[in-house]
Amino acid sequence: MHSFAFFAFDPKHLLEIVYVVTGLTLLIFAIMSFLDNKNPRRFGTGIFWLILAIIFVLGTVLPHWVTGLMVLAMAGIDGAGRIAKGDYNEPSKSTLLEHARRLGDKIFLPVLLIPIITILAAATFRLLNQFLNFSLDTNQGALVGLVVGSLIAMAICMGMTKSSPKLMMNEGRRLNDAMGTVTILPQLLASLGVVFTAAKVGDLIAGGITHVIPEHSLFLLVLANCLGMSMFTIIMGNSFAAFPVIATGVLAPLIIKPFGANPAMVAIITLTAGSSGTLITPMAANFNILPAALLNMKDQYGVIKFQLPYAATIWAAHVILMWLMIRWF
Amino acid sequence: MHFPVWLKLLGIVIVIIGLALKLRTTLVVVVAALVTGLLSGLPLFSEHSFISGIPFITKPGQEGIIDMLGRAFSDTRFVTLFIVTLPVVGLAERFGLQERSAMLIRRVSGATVGRLQIVYQMFRIAMGALGLRLNGHPVFVRPLVFPMSVGAAEKSLGVSGESEIPEKSIERIKAANAAGENYGNFYGQNLSLVQAGILLVFNTLKGLGYQVSLVSLVLFAIPIATLSLILGVIQFSLMDRFYRKKEANKTNA
Repeated sequence: MHSFAFFAFDPKHLLEIVYVVTGLTLLIFAIMSFLDNKNPRRFGTGIFWLILAIIFVLGTVLPHWVTGLMVLAMAGIDGAGRIAKGDYNEPSKSTLLEHARRLGDKIFLPVLLIPIITILAAATFRLLNQFLNFSLDTNQGALVGLVVGSLIAMAICMGMTKSSPKLMMNEGRRLNDAMGTVTILPQLLASLGVVFTAAKVGDLIAGGITHVIPEHSLFLLVLANCLGMSMFTIIMGNSFAAFPVIATGVLAPLIIKPFGANPAMVAIITLTAGSSGTLITPMAANFNILPAALLNMKDQYGVIKFQLPYAATIWAAHVILMWLMIRWF
Repeated sequence: MHFPVWLKLLGIVIVIIGLALKLRTTLVVVVAALVTGLLSGLPLFSEHSFISGIPFITKPGQEGIIDMLGRAFSDTRFVTLFIVTLPVVGLAERFGLQERSAMLIRRVSGATVGRLQIVYQMFRIAMGALGLRLNGHPVFVRPLVFPMSVGAAEKSLGVSGESEIPEKSIERIKAANAAGENYGNFYGQNLSLVQAGILLVFNTLKGLGYQVSLVSLVLFAIPIATLSLILGVIQFSLMDRFYRKKEANKTNA
């Protein structure tokens, strides 16, 4: 066993620091919202981001019921329409073009640094894991890298553009407010998924699927398997939540066992059949709704509408491919 | 009190109706969670020292809905970390990032909206195959891919400036940008031995009594990954045909 004294820290602390940094960013957005007297709803807007900031900084130590009540408060503030956009002192088009000419392609540097540092951190964590039995997972490496990369990029971007931290944070707030409360939707929907699981909604749906399945026709079984996987994903918003349920309830007892199908093959095809569901459900907010907000789209379902024909085609291909491969292998 | 089992599905109905009517999504989701939980007989709160034994509010040994919401919300904070990228992207945009991206792509001969999405989708598949997981929407799509696509569209349509592109086209470009990221991410990530999806399948099958190799899972992911790219090429190329038609109409007029 390898062990080095200076690695003797709990990897969870790293993630904690990352949450605190994000929380402090939100705290600055909140304070700027409170001070923005051109925002007609500055108080509601400020409180909303302040609550989120507190959850980010203290989420690990707060009792869950307190966090839960804070989540309800955020939904209440948003539901009551107490959130609005403010004033961000945006530059004119000609100023932008002038800056673009002056700084040239250098402006890409800070923006590209973020993914580069993220990837380097993920790769470093992977190597540490592999060679030092370090108990960090790579996803955490990417998260730490994202935040560290953003902090380094902030410093470089301010230096290059000779801007104050205040101007930079105000620009961040502009993007944040343009997205609005959609920001918390992925977390909220994940929480809804947890309640669905505790309420055994999944078992109910899986039971319904197995109830209507025809047991003898391989093609219809494959169809029902892929349909069940996608339907479940549409409702839960996550194919990873759907897979164990479908694999246990449908795939293993009705396809792998009676037809002797190759488990690895049918399992991986079932998993990606779920991705068709992910592509067309608003429940997968971080992939479909958040990007629409991030790009300031007029239609919040615009991404889903674009993905619909693709999802339907590749889903049909999954059914045919799985059916053919079971017959061939 | 006991409710019929199917009544639990009311939460799903609330979500569907709420989203269809475009009501405040945050409120819809929270209400759906509370309704589903209560109809399934879950208590509102876990038992704490100061509240216990109150009917409907707590129930011995069961986690309350509000505790559950707080726990899950806190556990999933990692999906919202992209907030820290916003100041850099915002400041860079103030100093002409979008304009520069558009200028850059106009210099690349043969660059079209569709081809750009195809290249990006391939890039995301390659990242997935290397086992690198990254939410590309905030770090690539918004700051880089979108303005580059606008630049390519300006070039195709022979206009200068985003304002001269019809709004419908801009919406479609944005949708394609997000879709390219999702296609590449979803179907590319199973090409790596260390990604979460592959490990989930491996562990689930193991639990069901089927010992498979990780390599075989990745091999069987290749046909669909290949198909995902082919379909992306088709859909994005169709976008380009639309631009060529537009241009043809313009020269005819």
